[in-house]
Amino acid sequence: MRRIERGHSIAEGCRRPRSRVADSARICLLLLPAAAAPLAASGQETDMVIPGVDLRDFIVERYVPPIAIRPLTVLAEDAGLAREIEGIIARDLDYSDRFRVRDSLPAEFAGEGVQYALWEQFDVDWLLVGTVEPQGPAGGYTFAVEVHDIVFGSLKARATFPLPARDHPDFRLAVHSVSDAVVRWVTGDPGMAATRIVFRMRAPGEQDATELYIVDSDGRNMRRLTWDGSIATSPAWSPDGKRIAYGSFKSGLPRIYELSPGDGQQRLLVPEGHGQHHMPTYHPDGNSIVFAIVGEEPSGLFSYDIRDGCCLQRLVGGRYNDLQPVFSPNGDSLIFMSTRLGMATPQVYLRPVGEGDDELLSPFRYGEGGFFTDPDWSPCGDKAAFAGGIGGRRQANRYHILVAEIGGGGRRLLQLTQEGNNEDPNWAPDCRHIVFQGTRSYGSGVFVVDTVTGRTRLLVPNVKAEDPDWSPILAENGVVR
Amino acid sequence: MFNPRLVLAAFATVVLAAACRPEPPPPVAPTPTGPTAEELAAQAEQRRLDSIADAERRQREAQRQAQIEIDRRARAARETLTQMVFFDYDESTLTAETTETLRSKLAVLRSCPTVRLRMEGHADERGTSEYNIALGSERAQSVSEFFTGFGLADTRFSTVSYGEERPIAQGSNEAAWARNRRVEFILTAGEGDLGQCAG
Repeated sequence: MRRIERGHSIAEGCRRPRSRVADSARICLLLLPAAAAPLAASGQETDMVIPGVDLRDFIVERYVPPIAIRPLTVLAEDAGLAREIEGIIARDLDYSDRFRVRDSLPAEFAGEGVQYALWEQFDVDWLLVGTVEPQGPAGGYTFAVEVHDIVFGSLKARATFPLPARDHPDFRLAVHSVSDAVVRWVTGDPGMAATRIVFRMRAPGEQDATELYIVDSDGRNMRRLTWDGSIATSPAWSPDGKRIAYGSFKSGLPRIYELSPGDGQQRLLVPEGHGQHHMPTYHPDGNSIVFAIVGEEPSGLFSYDIRDGCCLQRLVGGRYNDLQPVFSPNGDSLIFMSTRLGMATPQVYLRPVGEGDDELLSPFRYGEGGFFTDPDWSPCGDKAAFAGGIGGRRQANRYHILVAEIGGGGRRLLQLTQEGNNEDPNWAPDCRHIVFQGTRSYGSGVFVVDTVTGRTRLLVPNVKAEDPDWSPILAENGVVR
Repeated sequence: MFNPRLVLAAFATVVLAAACRPEPPPPVAPTPTGPTAEELAAQAEQRRLDSIADAERRQREAQRQAQIEIDRRARAARETLTQMVFFDYDESTLTAETTETLRSKLAVLRSCPTVRLRMEGHADERGTSEYNIALGSERAQSVSEFFTGFGLADTRFSTVSYGEERPIAQGSNEAAWARNRRVEFILTAGEGDLGQCAG
């Protein structure tokens, strides 16, 4: 039975998760009446009601296969090396939400060879074994990894990865890329371990300034990127992961800058144009950006060629505020936030870059309010996430992370958070996880939610972080891009 | 031609002077012939110089007073121009109180055509930070449109929004929020003319 189910989801609507599956979670699906036949009242207590939208439970029940990491064989005089690599990979596989990581292995499981019958008794579906050998004069290693399918009793995949020296700044990133290879081998889907997340935060001792910070995908290695002494806003990764565009007040007027996190180099990205410049996003080809001009007509969303430094062009705008543009992965369309329906009721729209009409993505009903901002387009193109203040901004400062299907016209929404305040969702390159800023009774932090299981974790606790943006994959097969 | 009164007066003067001052009195015996022409000219010249000095002193004092008045007017005008205005929650429309404050600014701006202002719009912490950039911008523009609506040149006004990034009151309560929903005014030109032009 287990052999057939493995890796597949069993979706069963409107029921609570059965206890067998530890990682399944309750996710609420919001449906506008227009989208479906009238739904039975769920009786569910909720603090959020979108006018005209019914709420019901939607259970994703998913078999999460157990995996074990056999203690690595290390042919080097570094006792801590194996434990560090095992620790990084185990956490990555856990954070991928595609495995249950079994630890506390009995001593007899160590050693050469893989006895499938023994491992099956230990109740694991997958087994990772590996050998680390010194390689080259720079203190690097080669990491030979095998993933065994215990259920079918066969070798699933095997590869050898280069790793830099343990004190090299790219060491952890290279190990993360091995975790992504394991996810890819087993599920066929991309991982997101070899990534980083940029966000902005008040620096210690700076009352009026927010600076950019960066953290690894597993919440480790947080460090500061800017010392502008000013307000940094809305960081966005370039498609190649080598640059970060962001807004800053450091010249007095808000302008768009580009930062290279590798060497700290900065440049003014849009040296021309009127008004205040905000909220940049890269075109998928990396050669141009779209950003918002605020406060002076003509206002709206403008594109600018950052390769040649020219060709400022207005794409959309009017006597209202169009903000927060994000490209579709193919560059054909933009989603953005607009106050065109009224200042108190910002909504999320989709717009073709060329000719065409705008489409409302958020669940607005005329005269009934609703506050929807912070859109982000999934790297796979089929979904958009945004933050929703349901019941109107006037009632509470409580927003939740919502996911809409592109083309669904806002009629079908997945609500991923159930408590506190949640803003600024941003997709991981695996098209599955979303990072956001959250505030709970116990404090604020950077959170990550899995859109499949609903599992949420606090990635960076005790920080008032804003505008997190998830990088593309920064390393593959041990090699940093 | 002997005048005993004159002698007596002179004597009394000497005695009085001697009583007051221990040093010997200067010779004060009147000269029968009176001051010479040179002396008279010197005295006249001295009086003339004294009166000039006095006039200059009076002029300096008047100037000082005028400067104090100019400074006072400049200070009052600056205070009028930079007094911040506040907004209702999630609103960029001008309240009656805000309109009153803006009218007093309007009077100064009318009489001081060299003055330019930058309006800095702010929002409270509620609402997402990007939305609040828009809200702060709307507030600054509402103020700008009030002035241009009364005929002032729009080239005299610029706006910038800080959204929720620069609160002047900390805390998550209505008192703090009300202080933070504001437009601040920065003089970007014409500050030196305020004392002369402002009423």
